[in-house]
Amino acid sequence: MINDFHYLKPASLKEALAMYAEHDDCKVICGGQSLLIVMRQGMVAPEFLLDIKHVKELSYIKFDDKDGLRLGATTTHREIEKSDVIAKKYPVLVAMEEKLASIQTRNWGTIGGNIAHADPAGDPGPVLIALNAEIKFGSSGGEKTVPLDEFFVDYFETKMEHGDLVLEVHVPTPAPKSGCSYQKFNLLDSDMGIVAAAASVTLNADGTCKDARIVLGNAGPIPLRVTKAEDLLKGKKLDDALFAEAGKIASEEAQPVADIHASEEHRRHVLGVLTKRMLKKAFEQAQKA
Amino acid sequence: MSHAKYSVINTHVHNIDGVAKVTGRATYTFDVKLPGMLYGKILRSPHPHARIISIDATRAMELSGVKIVVTGKDTLGIKQGIWRRYEELCDEQVLPLEKVRYIGEPVAAVAAVTEEIAEMALDLIDVEYEVLPAVYEPLEAIKKEAPTIHEGVERNVNVTRHIEWGDVDEAFDEADYIREDWFKCSGQAHMCMETRAAVSSFTPEGKLTCWASTQSAYYTQGLLAGVLGLREGDVRVLAPYVGGGFGGKFELDAAMFCSAVMSMKLFKPVKVVFTREEDFIASKRRTPMFYYVRTGIKKDGTFCARESRMFSNGGAYTGMGATALYLSGFFHSFPYKWRGYRYDGYRVYTNTLPSTSMRGFGAPQAMFCSEQQIDWICADLGLDPFEVRRKNGHTEGYEVPGQAFIASCGLEQCINEIEKWVKAKGKLPANRGIGISSCGFMSGGIFNWFDSPYSFSSAVITINVDGTCELHVGCQDIGQGSNTTMAIIAAETLGVKVEDIRVHSGDTAHCPADLGAWGSRQTLMAGNAVKMACEDAKKQLLEFAYAEMGINIVYDLDIKDRWVHIVARPERGLPYGDLVKKALRAKDGQRIMGRGYYTPHRKGMISPAYSYMMQAVDAEVDPETGKIKIHEVMTAHDCGQPINQLGLVGQLEGAASMALGYAYLEDMPFEDGKMMNPNLVDYKVIKAPEMPEAGIIEIDTYEPEGPYGAKEAGEGLTNPTAAALGNAIYNAMGIQMKELPITPERVRKALREKKEQEAQK
Amino acid sequence: MEKQVLRFKVNGDEYEVFIHPKTLLAEVIRDHLGFTGTKRGCETVSCGACTVNVNGRSVKSCSVLAIQCEGMEVTTVEGLEKNGKLSPIQRAFLDHGSYQCGFCTPGMLMSSTAFISEAKNPTKDQIKESIEGNVCRCTGYNSIVRAIEAVTQGKYKEE
Repeated sequence: MINDFHYLKPASLKEALAMYAEHDDCKVICGGQSLLIVMRQGMVAPEFLLDIKHVKELSYIKFDDKDGLRLGATTTHREIEKSDVIAKKYPVLVAMEEKLASIQTRNWGTIGGNIAHADPAGDPGPVLIALNAEIKFGSSGGEKTVPLDEFFVDYFETKMEHGDLVLEVHVPTPAPKSGCSYQKFNLLDSDMGIVAAAASVTLNADGTCKDARIVLGNAGPIPLRVTKAEDLLKGKKLDDALFAEAGKIASEEAQPVADIHASEEHRRHVLGVLTKRMLKKAFEQAQKA
Repeated sequence: MSHAKYSVINTHVHNIDGVAKVTGRATYTFDVKLPGMLYGKILRSPHPHARIISIDATRAMELSGVKIVVTGKDTLGIKQGIWRRYEELCDEQVLPLEKVRYIGEPVAAVAAVTEEIAEMALDLIDVEYEVLPAVYEPLEAIKKEAPTIHEGVERNVNVTRHIEWGDVDEAFDEADYIREDWFKCSGQAHMCMETRAAVSSFTPEGKLTCWASTQSAYYTQGLLAGVLGLREGDVRVLAPYVGGGFGGKFELDAAMFCSAVMSMKLFKPVKVVFTREEDFIASKRRTPMFYYVRTGIKKDGTFCARESRMFSNGGAYTGMGATALYLSGFFHSFPYKWRGYRYDGYRVYTNTLPSTSMRGFGAPQAMFCSEQQIDWICADLGLDPFEVRRKNGHTEGYEVPGQAFIASCGLEQCINEIEKWVKAKGKLPANRGIGISSCGFMSGGIFNWFDSPYSFSSAVITINVDGTCELHVGCQDIGQGSNTTMAIIAAETLGVKVEDIRVHSGDTAHCPADLGAWGSRQTLMAGNAVKMACEDAKKQLLEFAYAEMGINIVYDLDIKDRWVHIVARPERGLPYGDLVKKALRAKDGQRIMGRGYYTPHRKGMISPAYSYMMQAVDAEVDPETGKIKIHEVMTAHDCGQPINQLGLVGQLEGAASMALGYAYLEDMPFEDGKMMNPNLVDYKVIKAPEMPEAGIIEIDTYEPEGPYGAKEAGEGLTNPTAAALGNAIYNAMGIQMKELPITPERVRKALREKKEQEAQK
Repeated sequence: MEKQVLRFKVNGDEYEVFIHPKTLLAEVIRDHLGFTGTKRGCETVSCGACTVNVNGRSVKSCSVLAIQCEGMEVTTVEGLEKNGKLSPIQRAFLDHGSYQCGFCTPGMLMSSTAFISEAKNPTKDQIKESIEGNVCRCTGYNSIVRAIEAVTQGKYKEE
């Protein structure tokens, strides 16, 4: 049962930030696809609800060859999924969105809302981190930009403080000879992953590994970067044996929590398998790029 | 013999409720809203086993908008059950007076002016419990030291069933090879799209009207009257549209009971709708079963003997569990001829959600064990799984000793068709396999544990002056399309079109009694009643045609496509519409009415007729993650004469989706009596992207007991799939899956164990 | 907390309702406006029975605050027919028997309608994905997929 609240509807971003700063017991809603569930369960019951759905300034998809991709926080998942430029430049983002919940959820829910919710099982987090994304957030007191993998702090907790709104996701232009791939393990196609892995690989001109990023989903309180496995690959000529070894490291570094869907052993094992597979896929993409 | 060509039967007919359903006009109990209606909510036990010491509703009653709180003390305290003939199996007070026996059991109910207030009131009802020790597994509950769940029931053994024929020990002696295995079959939630729901309205004349999401308006009427102390005739049950049943909605549930009890006290309509969570934790489930199977076979593949023991987790109450216990044991022998067969089933009470009937009625579990073991035996002996099944399969005219007479059987053709289909697939890539399973199912049961004095099915058809007809039936459409099937049978028999028939069902005040939609009975039983009624009406109508046409005594008349004609000379006749007008005038303005009914007599111990089938599942396993992908399902199916073409395809595909879910997706893990996933995020129901193509090959037979040769289609189709998937995985990976559901972790575990075993060799 | 006025269009007609801001779109549609075609089957935004179209896009109305739809156009299953003429997808459902108990059907029709308006020559897999957010317990989905496919292949025209 949702508790009653005072409804605030700002007309602009400036007004939204001012209203947010003004009210202490206040939550922000845009798509509400994560928030409404917890409100209906009575787990969250703010006195004020700030609705930024109609703040048009935050809804945009911009791409520039030098600057890369900028997504306004209130851009819906569906807009990202259907964007031609994103399909061309960041196909892994489109692939990730296609399997994110349902079309209905994607039509109303937003990328900013998803990231602000900070569910370690969420799909965008690992993929965006693998793409080296940064996040801009701010309040009426000013803005900040941090790399996305520094933004998540704990289960459902980010670096943001009261009054802060997610403003923009910035994904740099993909480096030449790079690839990025993501897969989650689940029983039903669009379920949240029991575990998931995103991997990006950038190659040198000679085909050796210039950079690698491995990010695990639902393997801990936040999307988990496995830098130990990344370091294993840098500078080397990549092959299946290395991918398998990286997978093994990922499996060991992960901190998955067992529940009725899978034991800890199974999660660790599958994380290793997914890491291995996603690295290989990213590598093959990078070779073709 | 090829399927006869009919005007309406087995043609492409739109479901007659289609327009209502696709335009949003169809109103379900979920939608019913009456003036002054109150909303009811149910307080449920948090303990698996506890004595109720006291219930104090003072604080709840003080909440503005709350009108009443009821507990067991406000009822007649009658222990009810659907097995009315057997008092000891009527063990359930819907609102218990003394004890709660499972987490989620109703303890009190509230009615308030809004749903929200009713929900808030639940938190304000103070219940004092004395927590008792609880037991959750049948093999634990049957031990001497286990806590007693129902007083006087020793070892918590609720029901036992024994089926035996032949000299079993002698038959085992004849066997060249004997194999034994243990299996563990899970439960399953019905998960109807419409949760349990009821709206009750009791009026000052002392009459109760109850809208209920039910599979049998008649059963609901009888059960309500019984527990409320009303005459059946003073209870009217309405079920115009029902959002699914699958075996879980023909008993008395707390929505029906609590809404009625509260309405009787307030003389206001009260609506109770289960939340999805309540539907999971407090509406009964498919029976979890532990099966021990021992099978003896000759080296040439002839089946000799089978001896099986089954322990089912009955949960807290009997429900329909006694029937599931018997049917599981019977269909565990299907569809083969055994020289000796012995089954002992034990239904054991535990402090968990009661288990009951669910589509397949114990047969999906039975087939999971039987059909897999048969494939493993074939592998052990180097026999062909198709040949072995053909060799031992039922044939027309066979009598299952003391149990059933098989009047029609297309099993061999089913096996032949699937064998062809599988062989045509050729060699499959690695980690991929096709598994088969054959089975059969009943077309309704001969049982009358409800102790109904009425015919099992009845029908009345009345012909209006313009030739349109009112067909009153008691069979319940819960989505399977029985309204349409009855309209088709009526139209074919009477010689008119489906659009000439208006079907009335789901109203005990206007429709005859019918046992309802369970055990796949309606096409055969209600269909026979409808056919009889229409033949009666047609005969009466044709009497006027004979007089009108004055033809030679050697000629017969019939009606087809609204044309009354001489059978031998179809061009000679008159329009049906004209005849109806004349007949009405000749009868002094009285409409022609035809009556029909059907009750099976002397049809063995189970059913008047059996469907047969063989199913193949094409599946692939990811050996690293254990994840399963279903590529395709193909079924060769004998339901005698198909009646409702679109309905049949729908039943096959729908059954496959539910059965696949049972096989590898749906799990109901309990911890200390608590269901751990009572929501649709964590309880995995198959969705469109995972659903494979499910084709059908219809096998042509004729069932003499069925209307136009028809028998069941829809429940039997749930039976083979878990076994077929298990066999597919066996063929693909060489692992034996003995536990349901077949999860990725269990697959990986089996692969690991296989690897270890091979390493030891 | 104060109630607010919500003005929006439903099935082509203007409506004005006075609601608590916490009221879900599903509640306004069913309980305030009486359009009971839209159903509810869960509490976790899982089943899709509550699917309606808002400005042409499918949403789960149990997961949308009604107040956010101010000034928008909502279409429910009741709004698919025009003067007694069924829409192409409704006719396709009838021909293909794409429903049984019918409880998921309104949601399926709304998801399909939105998808059909957006999709160009979709593949079968894309069609299956389009109803991924709608649970059906009766049909096994394939008849629904066949109906949508027939419409996207142009076999049904607006009457």
